[in-house]
Amino acid sequence: MLKISGLSAALVAAAVAMSSGSAAAKDIVLGASVQLTGPVANTGRYYRDAYQLAVDKINEAGGVKVGNETYKLALKLYDNQSDVNLSVRQYTQLVSRDKVNFLLGPFASNFALADSAVSEKYQIPMVQGGGASDQIFARKFKYIFGTLAPASHYFGSTVEMMKGLDPAPKSVALLYADDAFDVSVAEGTRPKLKEAGFTLAMDERYSTNATDFNSLLSQVKSKNVDAVLVAGHETEILNFVRQAKSLAVAPKMYSFTVGVPSEDFRKALGKDADYAFGMTAWLPSADLKDQWFGDAAQFAAAFKAKFNYDPDYHAASGAADVEAVVKAVENAGTIDPVKVRDALSKVDFDSLYGRIAFNANGQIDLPQTVIQIQDGKLVAIQGVHGKIAAPKYPMPAWDAR
Amino acid sequence: MDLLGQVLINGTLLGGLYAMMALGLALVWGVLNIVNLAHGAFIMLGAYVSLYLFTYLHIDPFLGLPITAAVMFAVGYCVQRGLLNLIVRAPMFNTLLITFGLEVVLTYLAQLAFSADFRTINPTYAGDSIVLGPVVLPLARLLAFGVAIALTVGMWLFLLHTKLGRAIRATAQNLVAARLYGVEPRHLYAVTFGIGIALAGAAGGLYGTVSQINPYIGAALTAKSFAISIIGGLDNPLGVIVGGLFLGILESLTALYIGPTYADVASFGVLVLVLIVRPTGLLGKAA
Repeated sequence: MLKISGLSAALVAAAVAMSSGSAAAKDIVLGASVQLTGPVANTGRYYRDAYQLAVDKINEAGGVKVGNETYKLALKLYDNQSDVNLSVRQYTQLVSRDKVNFLLGPFASNFALADSAVSEKYQIPMVQGGGASDQIFARKFKYIFGTLAPASHYFGSTVEMMKGLDPAPKSVALLYADDAFDVSVAEGTRPKLKEAGFTLAMDERYSTNATDFNSLLSQVKSKNVDAVLVAGHETEILNFVRQAKSLAVAPKMYSFTVGVPSEDFRKALGKDADYAFGMTAWLPSADLKDQWFGDAAQFAAAFKAKFNYDPDYHAASGAADVEAVVKAVENAGTIDPVKVRDALSKVDFDSLYGRIAFNANGQIDLPQTVIQIQDGKLVAIQGVHGKIAAPKYPMPAWDAR
Repeated sequence: MDLLGQVLINGTLLGGLYAMMALGLALVWGVLNIVNLAHGAFIMLGAYVSLYLFTYLHIDPFLGLPITAAVMFAVGYCVQRGLLNLIVRAPMFNTLLITFGLEVVLTYLAQLAFSADFRTINPTYAGDSIVLGPVVLPLARLLAFGVAIALTVGMWLFLLHTKLGRAIRATAQNLVAARLYGVEPRHLYAVTFGIGIALAGAAGGLYGTVSQINPYIGAALTAKSFAISIIGGLDNPLGVIVGGLFLGILESLTALYIGPTYADVASFGVLVLVLIVRPTGLLGKAA
């Protein structure tokens, strides 16, 4: 009797395990560790919100078809508190304890650089739209895919635009922070500037999180530099612009890798943000058709309605990451991570963010559109197909605005 | 030469702000023997108080400094009375732990309350400057410098010449004797800490007019204030001015001649040197 009851108990247990197992199998769980607190939380929230919005939208539309079965998407998100080491631990936890199916990325290149080692080790694909440094993809890892354009290309369209400016800028200052992303930007920009015939009057690296740019700005002024290109972080750019104003440093133009597209930047600087050039690989244009959101404009509207702030390219790339995983799973017809990885390397579809097709290193290449803040509004100046609007150039002196 | 002149001015003005930031830390450390690791978080809170006064009540950030200081004094007084008095005679390690914890709590509460958005206190004149021949004096930095020097000298006079100031110094020197003369230490500790935090709050208001603020600026400001206090010495507030100016100029010159990435290396290198060669600070009494 005892034996039988033991056996039946085991059977019941097995049945329970199976039913809960099959219920869980109906979910495809995407795991990510994102900066929800800490110094980078301001940008991290784009990823959290974009992931959530994309997951909800895809679930509303019926979920993910894998062979004859339909799965729902679920999101498992941790807050890495803007700490790279914690982020690596959380990704390890996501794959080893939480057993998520696929990984989405954190924000920022130094995070993606470290975290991609986890996806590679455990052979779980990670699609990330937060790290652009060429370093991430130079290691020939097989399980990391990126939806930001290579950092080395960031200033490419800006340099193109600079060639056509009148009066043409002659001397250029290239300033950049000492982290994986910004060093890659500088390395890619240097030869482009030389090829275009500009004089590199300053080529300076500064510490990440620097707050004082007075020495650099004084040099910009004393060397009479025409154009200043800065690859840094939003906090640095804000201080840079404020200090440029207070020291009355007004080159003919300045351009920044980050900050300019975000609403927060324009709010914090007010009128002082005018004339700043920047770049974005994405604008909420209705021309970017999308299977789930309709188009990029509808995505932007849905995002703003739900989270009460405007999405920028970080958010668009984040949403596209979720879509890329879904496309790959549907194409593979399985949730086996190795097969989905192979499918990811072959995906080619139009998303709200642009065409998603990864090169051999796992990165996509989207051209950057040059943007400028004109009278408090973001204006697209030059895209892939050439000029869109006239730049306000040269920048007037601060007291003449 | 013009460039050097401009960089020296930049460094001096930066140094004045540094001195202001460090003043409260040095006072609390010198008198209460508390190394307040939450000091930068209080600077951050002061910046937000100033920001809100400016944004919602349209109070100019410089004119609003007394209000900011008063609010922060109250915060500081309560923190000392309710929390730090409990460990005032405990080993240094306990005070480090509790103020570190306080820093974390204040930072994350600030993110909850104010979000992680970057903000600036941006009155219309914030970017104005005075041009003196080849060099430019940024107005907000100049004002901040003036206020910083005035408050630091005022602090010095206050400690030397007022009854409360004497009581504070007496308590720092000999608690038992001070008690015999009728000093109530718990209240006095709270007043001292309150003054330190009021100074931190005022420094935050000044900082917000020249730099961006967000809930996470505190830790770096604590580190900087710590270095300035050590370099200048804790004996008198004038040492803090010397330490602040020294560091501001050193960082600016390093950025110009060696490279901006080395500015922090230089300042913390000097900190280590001072600790080895003259642990009582540049102006401190020789040990």
